[in-house]
Amino acid sequence: MIEVTDLVKKYGTHRAVDGVSFTVGRGELFGLLGPNGAGKTTTIGVLSTLLKADGGQVRIGGHDVASSPAQVRRLIGVVPQEIALYTDLTARDNLMFWGRLHGLGGAALSRRVEELLVMADLADQAKRRVDAYSGGMMRRLNLVAGLIHEPEVLFLDEPTVGIDAQARSRILDLIAQLGRQGLTVIYTTHYLEEAEHLCDRIGVIDRGRLVALGDKESLISQIGDVDLIRLSLPEGERAAFAAECGAWPECAGVGERRGKVEIRTPDGGRLLPRIQDWLRAHDLPLEQLEIERPNLETLYLNLTGRGLRENGS
Amino acid sequence: MTRLWVFAARDLRRMANDRRALVINLALPLLLTSIMGLSFGGGIFGKKGISAIPVALVAGELPDALRDRLLAGLQESGFFAPVWADSAQADALVRSGDVAAAIVLPDDALKGFFQSDSLSVAVWKDPSSEVKAGIVEEIVRRGVLRVQAGEAAYRALWPDDYRISTGDSAAVADLFAGGLDEIWRNLRDPDAVDSRKRATEFLARAMDHQVALSRALSEPQVGLTIADRIPVAAEDGRESSLFDYFLPSFAVFFLMFAVAGGARDLHRERTRRTLQRQLLGPGSAWPVVVGKWAASVVQGVVMLSVLLLAGALLFRVNLGPDPWTLPVVVVLTCTAASGFFMLLALLVRREKVLDNLSTAVILVSGMLGGNFMPVDNMPEWMAAVGRFFFNYWANLSFARVIGDNGSLTAVGTPLTVLATASAVLLVAIVVLFRLRVRRGGWA
Repeated sequence: MIEVTDLVKKYGTHRAVDGVSFTVGRGELFGLLGPNGAGKTTTIGVLSTLLKADGGQVRIGGHDVASSPAQVRRLIGVVPQEIALYTDLTARDNLMFWGRLHGLGGAALSRRVEELLVMADLADQAKRRVDAYSGGMMRRLNLVAGLIHEPEVLFLDEPTVGIDAQARSRILDLIAQLGRQGLTVIYTTHYLEEAEHLCDRIGVIDRGRLVALGDKESLISQIGDVDLIRLSLPEGERAAFAAECGAWPECAGVGERRGKVEIRTPDGGRLLPRIQDWLRAHDLPLEQLEIERPNLETLYLNLTGRGLRENGS
Repeated sequence: MTRLWVFAARDLRRMANDRRALVINLALPLLLTSIMGLSFGGGIFGKKGISAIPVALVAGELPDALRDRLLAGLQESGFFAPVWADSAQADALVRSGDVAAAIVLPDDALKGFFQSDSLSVAVWKDPSSEVKAGIVEEIVRRGVLRVQAGEAAYRALWPDDYRISTGDSAAVADLFAGGLDEIWRNLRDPDAVDSRKRATEFLARAMDHQVALSRALSEPQVGLTIADRIPVAAEDGRESSLFDYFLPSFAVFFLMFAVAGGARDLHRERTRRTLQRQLLGPGSAWPVVVGKWAASVVQGVVMLSVLLLAGALLFRVNLGPDPWTLPVVVVLTCTAASGFFMLLALLVRREKVLDNLSTAVILVSGMLGGNFMPVDNMPEWMAAVGRFFFNYWANLSFARVIGDNGSLTAVGTPLTVLATASAVLLVAIVVLFRLRVRRGGWA
């Protein structure tokens, strides 16, 4: 359904998207994972015809985005990161406007608007102005506004930013429901758990480059079955510990990050006694120790040296 | 066209929902123009202040002494600025609006009155000066009532220095001098036949006057006729006041703020991403910006119409010689204003910059384009510079239509300039918007 080949988008000399390639099959829920500033929104901008690419090719439903933007627009719906609604109008007026914009009218439009209000669980609030809504209600309305013309492909650009856990859960349920209905979805987020929970396949993007691509299991297998141990130590002791730990057979790698020593090991449980012995030998208390099983965060960390919530710029 | 209307209708609905904008764009200008109307256009429903009401007096053959006393009395009252006029002059003065009313006595008013004929006093009023003419009418009506009560008749008959003739009174005085025996002798004196005859005539005439007095007291002999004189202005010109200039020029000034706000909304839509969402719809991008322009035009037309109609209703501001000239001026003013500020919005990249720039442009063009002083009174250099601003041509058009009661032909040149500017600006905003969208700068 979507083919992206060597996509490049530059702002001046800065390459916001730098040679990104991926494909998304019909009915697939594809996650684009990366921190702020990684190039996710720019990628969506080009895919949705709003931005012109400086290189590469994008085809959606067989249409080239650059040469046939009108045909592409008929196929796609976009839910921007911002609340792109008229907050001085009611929910119904908003949906009616977006529907008319897409050429809908009469009973068909009214019917579609009611469907979407029910889908967003806003039917009883339809006559209220949007500026009286909670953040979660606005997000749900923002999402269904992108569905008014029944697109085949939906771009969701961080649709859960700035809302509480409960509201986020309702949004994710809504997206999962859309996925089950066969809609092709590209979902950008910097929330790892959302991508893990929702997406069939995930592309990890950093500094404009796609650094990993695949389903969750295959991505995690890229870093192998390795535990990550984070140990808090006084600054003067870290180097000595790292030197000694690196020589232990159970240790697959050791480094320092954010004031902690990070140790990769195939079996965290076997390494713990050694660490305790070392602390006792050096007369140091055990202040903090975490063991993390491999996940996308670990993968991202391994690939980029940064966490997903850190600013990518 | 349907898409264009979708965009315009959306903006109009939002404008109607925006109570703050309604207050700023409609209520506030209405309040300020009302204050100006009261200051420069006279009281509500009137044209000028109520002091020193100009009034014409037509009194035919009234004796000079009485004319002088009447004139002095009116002047001393402090309410009137009276002028004498003959019938034709008074008619012209009322019709031209130079006097609020004329008080017209018939040529033989005094003579007729004392001959016990009924007397008709007329008041000719300028209908456009309702308050002042009404005051004149009321005062005359009161005067007539007093005459009807006999007071005026008594004063006319028995003033302190009243004499039917000096000789007659002397004869009476001679006749009635001394005691009763002397009066008796005088009445029988054969040498005083002439004196007796004159005294008798005097007494007989005095009796006549008494009869006239009692008739005046018993039945009204003075009638009052009130007649409006249609001002000349309503036919081929009219009286204008400073408010006739200030109303449209301030309306245009407020219009500029209103349409600048509409243009600023383009930037707000961009930052809120509703603009980008619209650009994802099917079809061309131009209806997005033209729809916003059209909504801004409608908003401006409503705003100007309300202000001008309020001015006409409250302060009798002239709305032109026919029903179509002023609406054409209003619409072309709004199309040019909306185009101008929409272009400004497309030329800058940030809303904050647009805010500052719009305010500066409104103030400068307001000054140079004749929003703070009548275009006809502008210094030559200012008028020359002002020609580069649409509001100069708008103000000029309003001055010709409202101030001079000019028709479409009288405003041909400024309307042509406004229409051309509107068309050029509309094309410019479409081209620039498409360019911005194509280059991705507005995405």
